[in-house]
Amino acid sequence: MYGKGIMRGLSVTLKHFFQTYVDDLRYGWRKYSPKEDNFEMRQGMAAQGAFTVQYPDEKLAVPERFRFVPFLVVNEDDHPEAPGKDWCTSCGICAKVCPPQCIWIVRSEDPNTGRPIPEPEAFFIDIDICMNCGFCAEFCPFDAIKMDHDYELASYDRTTSHIHDKDHLSKPTSYWNRIAPTRAAEEAEARGGWEHIDVIKERKKAEKAAAKAAKK
Amino acid sequence: MADLNLNELHDTEFPLPEQMHGNVAITSLSKLYNWSRRSSMWPLLFGLACCAIEMIGTAASRFDFSRFGMEVMRATPRQSDLMIVSGTVTKKMVVPIVRLYNQMPEPKYVMAMGACASGGGPFKEGYNVVSGIDKYLPVDVYVPGCPPTPQALLHGLITLQKKIDGQSLANLDDVPWYGVGPSEPTPIPILGPDIIDPRQMDTIRRQAELAALGQPIGLRALPDVPVYKPKPKKAVAAAAVVEEVVVDEEDAARVMELRQAALARKRAYDASKS
Repeated sequence: MYGKGIMRGLSVTLKHFFQTYVDDLRYGWRKYSPKEDNFEMRQGMAAQGAFTVQYPDEKLAVPERFRFVPFLVVNEDDHPEAPGKDWCTSCGICAKVCPPQCIWIVRSEDPNTGRPIPEPEAFFIDIDICMNCGFCAEFCPFDAIKMDHDYELASYDRTTSHIHDKDHLSKPTSYWNRIAPTRAAEEAEARGGWEHIDVIKERKKAEKAAAKAAKK
Repeated sequence: MADLNLNELHDTEFPLPEQMHGNVAITSLSKLYNWSRRSSMWPLLFGLACCAIEMIGTAASRFDFSRFGMEVMRATPRQSDLMIVSGTVTKKMVVPIVRLYNQMPEPKYVMAMGACASGGGPFKEGYNVVSGIDKYLPVDVYVPGCPPTPQALLHGLITLQKKIDGQSLANLDDVPWYGVGPSEPTPIPILGPDIIDPRQMDTIRRQAELAALGQPIGLRALPDVPVYKPKPKKAVAAAAVVEEVVVDEEDAARVMELRQAALARKRAYDASKS
């Protein structure tokens, strides 16, 4: 019979249409309650009907691996050894791999000796050029640049608010732990701790030296 | 009623003479006007690239921007208020886009959706791509993302509505379409080897005529570009005096002779080899 495939396809749409009302009856007044689980259930994989997300009031949770614009991981402000220190060493790998070339790093120099210091003096990302590919986060050897989950970035002026500088980009480690707990834990395990890899190495060195001194 | 402060009642954007304070109460017409305007923003129905897919997703039932009064996407510029530039603007496409923008009735708004429309995105140095629609049209809201998710686009639309809420009827800079005379159309770029600005057309024509006559074309007036001058790194380098170059003519002649001799030797060697 001609048109059988069309009928079958449309029946799926029709099924969802009716399921919406069946679901509405099943949930009854509960759909008006502000409970989070309710929203998750109606918007989740198990839901049958079609429901509108009332966006500014209720927001769909983004997956952990969700990528938007990048941010820089820095130490906490109450870190005992180096509060607020950048994890970034300004090696420039992210700027090199960035396909649309939206990262601009200025390396800092010691004013007396002229030798480079492993932290960026300035760090700019043009988020109107960024294509959210996540290569910078993928290639960073220090886990210092990560993809943010905050997508509410619309603004009236591109030049002032859409070119993120270092102050704007820097976010503490706790923020990264909160938005991507599993991934952050995996990375920390691979590193050997929560700290920056250089801090861990130095600490291990100090521990070894202390052990040697104790043996003697 | 004793607590009622009459001075609060005329707290509007309209300037009120001193002697009328406390006697007249004005409610803001702008509020009503802006509410009706922002609640019926009809976007122009067109999509350019992958951002258009997200825009379609935003228009569909799951995110549904008809909740903000944008349910009818108009397929004609004459009936639309908002232009969502959703995707990469190629040099070929910028011409119809500017033409469509000119055909939209005032008040009209432009939203640059996604990286390509805002700043060129990954194609910002492409030979065929306009790096940002804001070079040709006055953009009201920029939405970053590649592409922005439906929720990010909705946030951009709400940001635009907030902008409309902030516009005042008393300020003609906000609502220039109530001014005298027709509004100035945006010049339509002309498709060529590179996009040509029609405002420069006289200069371009004159140059073409000069070139056809075989005369030097001359330079077009270029905008002033700030010249980058690196700072002297050390104080010693800055203080170094430029030594005057003394040309010894005898020495130069001798060097030239030596060079000529070397060249002759080389030619003789090459000739003997072949």
